[in-house]
Amino acid sequence: MSHASQTHTSPVLGLDVGTSRIVIARRADDDFCYESQLNAFVAIPYSKITEGVLEREKIPHTVQADQIIVHGNESEKFAGLLNAETRRPMTGGLLDAKEPDSLRMIREILNTMLARHRGEKTRKVCFTVPAPPLGAESSLTYHEATLRQILTELNYQPVSINEGLAIVYSELESSNYTGIGISCGGGLCNVCLAYLSVPIISFSIPKAGDYIDTSAASAIGERANRIRLTKEDSFHFNGFFADKVHQVLGVYYDDMIRSLVTGLKDAFARTSNLPKFNRPIPMVLSGGTALPTGFRDRFEKLLWEQDFPVSMSEIRLAQNPLHSTAKGALVCALSDS
Amino acid sequence: MAQFSIIEKRASRIADPVERLRFLRLQMREQRKPRALPSWRPAFLIAGLVIMVAIVPLPTGTAETFVKERRLTGSERAAVPSPAPRVWLVDKSGTQELYSNGLRIDLTFAVSNRPRDRFPIFSLAGGPDPMKEGNAPVGIVYHTTESNLAPFEQGENRRLQRLGRNLMEWVRQDRSYHYVIDRFGRVYRVVQEADAANHAGTSIWADSKGAYVNLNDSFLGVSFEGQTGAVDEVTPAQISAGRVLTEMLRSRYGIAAENCVTHAQVSVNPQNMRIGVHTDWAGKFPFAGVGLPDNYSLPVASLFLFGFEYDSVFLRATGARWRGLDLAELQVARQAAAENLETRRYRAILQHRYKDIASALKEKSEELKK
Repeated sequence: MSHASQTHTSPVLGLDVGTSRIVIARRADDDFCYESQLNAFVAIPYSKITEGVLEREKIPHTVQADQIIVHGNESEKFAGLLNAETRRPMTGGLLDAKEPDSLRMIREILNTMLARHRGEKTRKVCFTVPAPPLGAESSLTYHEATLRQILTELNYQPVSINEGLAIVYSELESSNYTGIGISCGGGLCNVCLAYLSVPIISFSIPKAGDYIDTSAASAIGERANRIRLTKEDSFHFNGFFADKVHQVLGVYYDDMIRSLVTGLKDAFARTSNLPKFNRPIPMVLSGGTALPTGFRDRFEKLLWEQDFPVSMSEIRLAQNPLHSTAKGALVCALSDS
Repeated sequence: MAQFSIIEKRASRIADPVERLRFLRLQMREQRKPRALPSWRPAFLIAGLVIMVAIVPLPTGTAETFVKERRLTGSERAAVPSPAPRVWLVDKSGTQELYSNGLRIDLTFAVSNRPRDRFPIFSLAGGPDPMKEGNAPVGIVYHTTESNLAPFEQGENRRLQRLGRNLMEWVRQDRSYHYVIDRFGRVYRVVQEADAANHAGTSIWADSKGAYVNLNDSFLGVSFEGQTGAVDEVTPAQISAGRVLTEMLRSRYGIAAENCVTHAQVSVNPQNMRIGVHTDWAGKFPFAGVGLPDNYSLPVASLFLFGFEYDSVFLRATGARWRGLDLAELQVARQAAAENLETRRYRAILQHRYKDIASALKEKSEELKK
C-alpha cells in the first residue's frame, strides 16, 4: 500500500475485484496509489470483549447474530488462530452462488475500502469483470450486475472493464495499447488481445491460483490455505524441489501453465477476425499467480513449444503484478472522464 | 489499414498514457461508426432493426450488457440474504401459542408422528458417505395443499370454513405437514416440530454446510391452503401469516434464508432423474412477502450436485424460468470443464453418486424397519 500526498486526488477510482484480493487504485498528482484487502472473511464467536478489541484496533468486522464476521486482511490471521479456512465471497472469478453470505460480505469489504474515498458527489469507479471461460457456456451478467448495484448503492457511478483489457491499459501504452494482457489471479486466468485499445479476443481459463492450492492440498492432505502461504512465500521454478509441498506445487503450476498455453493457442487459432499486425506484439503476464521466480520463463518455454499463431515481440511480467489490473481499470476510468 | 497507421502515429505523439488512451478509444469508436447512408436507406434499416430486436436475444456475459443488467439489478436487492429475526414465545395455552411478532398458532389439530431421526449431511465435494449428522431442522419446505377451494368471497364464508376444517382433518390423519396456513391466515400446527412430517418425499437441497437428501427429517413442512393455478392462489392474509411463521421458525432453529424453499425446488424423481415430480410453488411463491430473498435464483442443488435434469413440462410449471436453473447448469458446465470432462459424462458421474446415496439410505431405512 502506498500513500501519496493529498494535494490533488483524481475523482475516479480503479477497482480490481479479484477472487482472492480486492485492490483500489487512485491517482494523486502523478502517482498511482493502491490499497488492497483480502476478499475473504471468517466468523468468530461473539463476545462483547472481542467486539471491543476489534473496534479499538479498527479491524473491519460486522456482528451477525451470535457471531462476529472479520473480513479483509485480518480474516487470515483469525482463521489461523482458529485453525479454520477463511470463507470467500467469490470463487472462480465470480460471486460464489453457494456461499450464503457472499453478497453481504463483498458489500462490507467494498464499503470498508471505498468509505474513505466517498465524497458528497457521486464518483466514477471502473471495476473489473472476468471474461467468459473458454469452452464453457457462461453468464457473467449476474456477477457484473450485482457488483454494479452494490457500487451504485455506495454512491459510486460504476463502469466495468474486462480484466485482461485492464492489463493492456495498465502496461501497454508503449505499443499504443496493442498486445496481449494476461491476468493470472486466484480463480481464473483472464486473457485479452487488444488492438489500438479495442478488445479483439477475451476469454478466461478456469485454472489459476486456487486450482493449484486445492489440487496440491488434496494431493498431500494439507489445508489449501497453508499451501497458498507456502506458494506465496517460497515457491519458485528451478527444476529442483526441496520438499514434497514444493514438488506438488511444481506439478500443478505446470499443469495450470500448460492449460493456459493450450487455451491461448486454441482460442487464437480459431478466431477468424484476428487483425493483421504489422509487427510482433507484446504479451504481459500479471496477477499474484505469476509472481514466483521463473514463472515467466516457464510460460515462455511452453508457449514456444506450441505453434502460436501470433508473433510476439516480448513476453514480460507486469511492472507491478499485484496492482496492474486495478491500475488499468483506473486508466480506463480516467480516459472516460 | 492505412487509417489505423495514421491514428497510431498520432497517438504515439501523445506522452500522457491516459490522454493517449482517450484519443485512441475515441478514434477507434469513430472508425467503427457506420458511414452516412443514402436518404432512402435509413427507413429500411430501422425496419430491419425493429425485426432484429424482436427476434434476436440480447447479448450476455460481457461488460456491455447494460440493458440486461438493469433488469437484473432490480430483483437482486431481494436476493441479499436476510438474517433470522429474533422471535420468542409470549404466551401458551392448551389451544394456542402467541409469539412476540404477533404470530398465533392454533393447536386444535396438533398431533404427534414418529420422532425426527438424525439425518445424514453429505459433503458437497462428493462421496456416498455422510460427513456428519444433524438433528434439528435446517430448513423449511413450502407447499400448497392442492385441496378444493371456494371463491374467496364473503358470501362463501360457510363453505370456506367447511373446506378448511375438512382439510385440517385430512392433514392431521396423514401427518402431511408441520404447519398449515388456511385461507384466512390462521396458522395451525399439525405435526409437532420434534417429529417428522410426511411432506417432502424424495427430495434434495443443499447449503454451504452440505447436501440433504430426503427432507422429511431435516426440513419443516409449511403448507398454504391453496391450489396451483387457482385464481386467488394465496390470500394476503396467508402471506402475512407465512411471514410471521417463517420468522418464528428461522429464529427458533437459526434457519438460513437460503434453506427456505418450495416443494418444486427440492422434489426429484429418481426413476427418470428429473426434478419437479411435485410442482407446488414451481412459480410465484411470494418470497418477498414472507420476508425472504428470491430463492428461485439459488442454484438447484439436485442439478449441480447429483446431475438431475428437467423437461419442458416442468419449465411450463415454473412460468418464469428460475435463475437457479441457469446457475446450476452453469455450475455443472464449469465443474465439467474443470474436470476436463464432457458435461454429459460429468452429469452421469453425479447421477451415479446420487444412486449410491439413495441405495445406502434405503438399506438403512430397511434395517431400521427390521
